[in-house]
Amino acid sequence: MILTKMRRFGPVLVAAGLCLGPLVALAQTQIYDARTGKWVDYDKKKARQLYARNKQLPEAFQRQVVPFRTAEAPGTIIIDGNQHFLYLVQPGGQAIRYGIGVGREGFGWAGIVRVGRKAENPTWTPPPEMVARDPNAAKWAAGMPGGRPDNPLGPRAMYLYVGDSDTIYRIHGTIEPWTIGLDVSSGCIRLNNDDVVDLYSRVDVGAKVIVLMQGAALYKGV
Amino acid sequence: MKRNDLRLLAPAAVAAWLGAYPTHAADLAISAPNWPSGQATANILKVGIEKDFGLQVEVKPMGTMNSFVGLEAGTVDIQPEIWRPNFDDLVQKYVEEKGAVKLAGKQVPAWQGLCATPAAAATFKSVSDLGDPEKTEVLDTDGDGQGEIWIGAPTWLSTGIERVRAKSYGYEKNLHLVEAEEDVAMAAVDAAVATEQPMVFYCYAPHHVFQLHDLTRLEEPAHDPAKWNLVSAQDPLWITKSNATTAWDTAHFQIGYATAFATKRPDVAQFLENVDFTPEEVTQMSYALGVERQAPLDYAKKWVEQNAARVAGWGKP
Repeated sequence: MILTKMRRFGPVLVAAGLCLGPLVALAQTQIYDARTGKWVDYDKKKARQLYARNKQLPEAFQRQVVPFRTAEAPGTIIIDGNQHFLYLVQPGGQAIRYGIGVGREGFGWAGIVRVGRKAENPTWTPPPEMVARDPNAAKWAAGMPGGRPDNPLGPRAMYLYVGDSDTIYRIHGTIEPWTIGLDVSSGCIRLNNDDVVDLYSRVDVGAKVIVLMQGAALYKGV
Repeated sequence: MKRNDLRLLAPAAVAAWLGAYPTHAADLAISAPNWPSGQATANILKVGIEKDFGLQVEVKPMGTMNSFVGLEAGTVDIQPEIWRPNFDDLVQKYVEEKGAVKLAGKQVPAWQGLCATPAAAATFKSVSDLGDPEKTEVLDTDGDGQGEIWIGAPTWLSTGIERVRAKSYGYEKNLHLVEAEEDVAMAAVDAAVATEQPMVFYCYAPHHVFQLHDLTRLEEPAHDPAKWNLVSAQDPLWITKSNATTAWDTAHFQIGYATAFATKRPDVAQFLENVDFTPEEVTQMSYALGVERQAPLDYAKKWVEQNAARVAGWGKP
């Protein structure tokens, strides 16, 4: 059963920078409330309340094996930013589905890339515009070491490449797990930390990554 | 569609996939396009001709346009799938005018148009439904309230024609026309079906996507040449100047071979005339290579073994 759906509205706000922490909700996810039998808005406030209460994400965004028929080979990653799912294709018409948090403006492309590099406890380097704006980020202008609980990349990162070139986009963990399922940062693809460790252990460097189209207006191609 | 893809793949990579380069000169060369059924057919012809005539056959990865050039120049002898009406311009030039290429008489019927996933099929039965913004809103995937429709890969000739059709039918006003690589679009179909989301997109058959998913073809007015006015794609403004408000004409594909080669080896030319693949067999080939990821040459060897009497029959006068 599908337990989330998207409803988006309002002008799209521009979230500057890449791979930042949560900034602003740009779109409206809804989740199914089994108690009332109704679809309810799933925004940052609601997400935080639910996470505090349940200590876990809504069912749809939890890691699970799902039926998934595809011509793509096992080991391929398919990222559906619209529905906030990342699929890792498995043999036998199945995939492991992870809930993801995505950004809007910073990930406004679709195309085929690959995992060019993997890192455990990656160093986080804030982008220059964030350093200029945010004194907390400025402290880490030269890079925040990996392994710290406040490192926004979490415990693992997979760097997306086109050929031999880094696209500057990454799949990584998060220090705010309740934001999975929301469009609250720009740029990268965030999984909760258990999930990013799990994905990391299953993915090889060189794995094909397909980022699905999110509309002609955003499609630039990679 | 891939049948229009003029790009060359990286030759070394494709050669590695298709099989090793021959260590010495082959007796004849077959071009192989970059879509699964074309690669399967190229290799089945290779294995069949080697078996029936004892010749050494080389398979060369190549786009359709380069293949026609090679057929005239003598560097290619056989082309496994020439799609029509898509490549009628090249057929006119190399077959009708220059007489450098012959087309085998047997044809495999094909189809192209628009498809809907199960969640979209109830709302989108006909192409006219695409003109209703209230209906197409559910195809929105980027939050702007307007739906999206995949119309093909950027390099395909058919993608421009789909743009003409969207303009002519009128649904370009309320749908974003998305161009993306076929792998991206097919993965989007996979994800849409897996999550019961509606999606409408350009599609063609034979293709393994029909084996993977339960898709519905949108109804359209029957093809009418009087309402299908395409300006040559050589004109930079051809999309603006063209108009098409009916379904695509019935398509088909057939084997082509060099006229000079047929003169030299009429027995092999006769073999090619006898090849009689069905659409179902071509879909199976597409599925075997595209989904099951069988190596083209291995698949071809198995296919010829399983159809030994039929392949032997192709080689008889």
